[in-house]
Amino acid sequence: MVRKVAIYGKGGIGKSTTTQNTASALAHFHDQKVMIHGCDPKADSTRMILGGKMQRTMMDTLREEGEEACMDLDKIMSTGFGGIKCVESGGPEPGVGCAGRGVITAITIMEQQKVYEDDLDFVFFDVLGDVVCGGFAMPVRDGKAEEIYIVASGEMMALYAANNICKGMVKYAEQSGVRLGGIICNSRNVDGEKELLEEFCERIGTQMIYFVPRDNIVQKAEFNKKTVVDFDEDCNQANEYKELGRKIIENKNFVIPEPMTMNEMEELVVKYGMMD
Amino acid sequence: MPYKLFDVDKEIPERKKHTYVKHCSDPEECMPHCNTTTIPGSMSERGCAFAGAKGVITGALKDVVHVVHSPVGCTFYAGGTKRYPTSPNMPDGSKFPIENFNLKYVCGTDLMESDVVFGGMKKLKQSIIEAAQEFPEANAIYAYATCTTGLIGDDMDAVAKELTTELGIDILAFNAPGFAGPSQSKGHHIANHTLFDRLVGTKEPPTTTPYDIGLIGEYNIDGDLWILESYFKEMGIRILSRFTGDACHDELCFMHRAKLNLVRCQRSATYIADLIKEKYDVPYINVDFFSTKYCAENLRTIGKYFGLEEEADKVIADRMAKVTPELEFYKKKLTGKKVYIFSGGPKSWHLAIPLENELGMEVTAVASQFEHEDGYVKMKNRTREGTLIVDDPNSMELEEMITKDKPDLILAGIKEKYMAHKLGVPSIMIHSYENGPYIGFEGFVNLAKDMYSNIYNPVWNMIDFEENPAPEETEIDVESGETPENEAKVSK
Repeated sequence: MVRKVAIYGKGGIGKSTTTQNTASALAHFHDQKVMIHGCDPKADSTRMILGGKMQRTMMDTLREEGEEACMDLDKIMSTGFGGIKCVESGGPEPGVGCAGRGVITAITIMEQQKVYEDDLDFVFFDVLGDVVCGGFAMPVRDGKAEEIYIVASGEMMALYAANNICKGMVKYAEQSGVRLGGIICNSRNVDGEKELLEEFCERIGTQMIYFVPRDNIVQKAEFNKKTVVDFDEDCNQANEYKELGRKIIENKNFVIPEPMTMNEMEELVVKYGMMD
Repeated sequence: MPYKLFDVDKEIPERKKHTYVKHCSDPEECMPHCNTTTIPGSMSERGCAFAGAKGVITGALKDVVHVVHSPVGCTFYAGGTKRYPTSPNMPDGSKFPIENFNLKYVCGTDLMESDVVFGGMKKLKQSIIEAAQEFPEANAIYAYATCTTGLIGDDMDAVAKELTTELGIDILAFNAPGFAGPSQSKGHHIANHTLFDRLVGTKEPPTTTPYDIGLIGEYNIDGDLWILESYFKEMGIRILSRFTGDACHDELCFMHRAKLNLVRCQRSATYIADLIKEKYDVPYINVDFFSTKYCAENLRTIGKYFGLEEEADKVIADRMAKVTPELEFYKKKLTGKKVYIFSGGPKSWHLAIPLENELGMEVTAVASQFEHEDGYVKMKNRTREGTLIVDDPNSMELEEMITKDKPDLILAGIKEKYMAHKLGVPSIMIHSYENGPYIGFEGFVNLAKDMYSNIYNPVWNMIDFEENPAPEETEIDVESGETPENEAKVSK
């Protein structure tokens, strides 16, 4: 049974980096069959898996060749490191059209072809930072992703965003059964980061599933258009992603979060902001 | 209680406050709740804001191409223009080359999925350019936002501005997507403002006279405007600008030069009269030309304004001599006949008293799809005790009214017409008319004639409706969905 996972988090927090590194760890170390569906109009969710190649997006195919062409998987799907299948929804440049509709269209086409059911262990939906409209909530609608992981760090704005995402998903949780699997801390080396994250997770009723330390090798691998596992499978950071992958495979802790009120968030800010 | 809940509305009791039964002693504020969102469950007959903009206000212009920025369905419905005939006459004396151009053509951008995702502005631009090439005679191009393009936020004003420069004719964008308001009324409002903001004051008329008027809110339904124009001509008054019946684009641009504005449809066009008064200090008066009495009164008012009372009296005397004998005949035939007026907006209050006083009929129900409070005040003032006044009526309510109250005739639209026929009641289209025009002296005779011929049509006595047989358990062919009985009927 394929597990469909949606990765959310504040813009710039490292969703795409974390998704691609975790996916390659799952494929490489744990022998999982993985697919990544990028749902960001920027279409940069699969670049490192594909060795730096910018994939032609589903929406570009739709625009240039029509809907029929999207039914041809060879035209919209590429396979990269570790046999990971990659799809990008794509979408308009900023300021025009409707990127949310693009996500809906792309996922609908994929579902029509039952691509997500096809001999896979994991499908990751890498979603735009802010769930600004119905389109970006498409991956967690009924019958789609059942698990959400939120990427966050010890910076307050990242936690505000995570809390907001939780508010948004509560509504969908009742309708579609989607559950929060945990918060992935993508460390920024902020003081007291781990403690803050742990308290935040406890307050909203979830777990910090993994603390990914900061390591320059992530950037170095990116410069080489690779994920860490692909770049150097023996390095410590590859091992961290391997562990994160294992935690996700073994995860049984799925909850409907209880997001904090604005006041509670501010108290938390004061508590950790005053520490030094 | 002055409000009535129809039997068919018992599941939606919110409808009660929209259906008022007139009692003369009711306080002023007693009137139907109006100009608000349709109640879920009520099969409203309203249109959308886009329909109000294109269908009512701009569709009457003779020399404009319309580009609907939408998936193809909205464009189809925009193509079905009301009976707004146009003449080829232009203000500078030239002739527009295509007869009834406005009734014949509409363009659309035919948006598809990928246009929605990537934005439709390129396609809009291309469509406007193609429309200009296809119809080089057109003097302006009007483009319309619809629900789809309103939602994705296509910047139509930017496209209009760019192409106005590039093509050298006025390109206007009307941002009245369907969801902009509770009914078509909001589209009237937005279109008034757009036309005022973009056009009024941008051009000068070829000539002016001290007797120039603007005729606002007269859309020339089935030739209404031409009747009024003949009166004004005989009085020595010139219609400088029409808004928008049989008008051309340029007339709207010099509306500010009228000496007096007359507001005919006070629901859809008071907005622009107010705007012109405020900015250019052109006064306006509300006018009513339905029936001989209102028409005569209003022609005298206008005559007085311009010092042309004698001329007005002459027109009135001339027309009255022509129509009086005929109207006497129809009055005899129509006296005591019970009639409903289901108009879109103001015709309910325009016609209520004339039908009663001049033709002896009994108006027992009036309704409007989109009137506001001021309109309902007039409806209330112009109807008799016990008259039902319905806001945003639905077909099932009308069916209940017809079945219980059995009127002799209903004046309504195409949406009600065939239901009335099925219930054995004649129906006349009061939005777009049968054998119009219906305005003015001659028009009132046309209306009386249509009412007479419909009520007295022998067909109503021949109708014998057969009850549907009770459903029997028959074998149904799953593939075709047909029962053996159906097949037998077809083969007969």
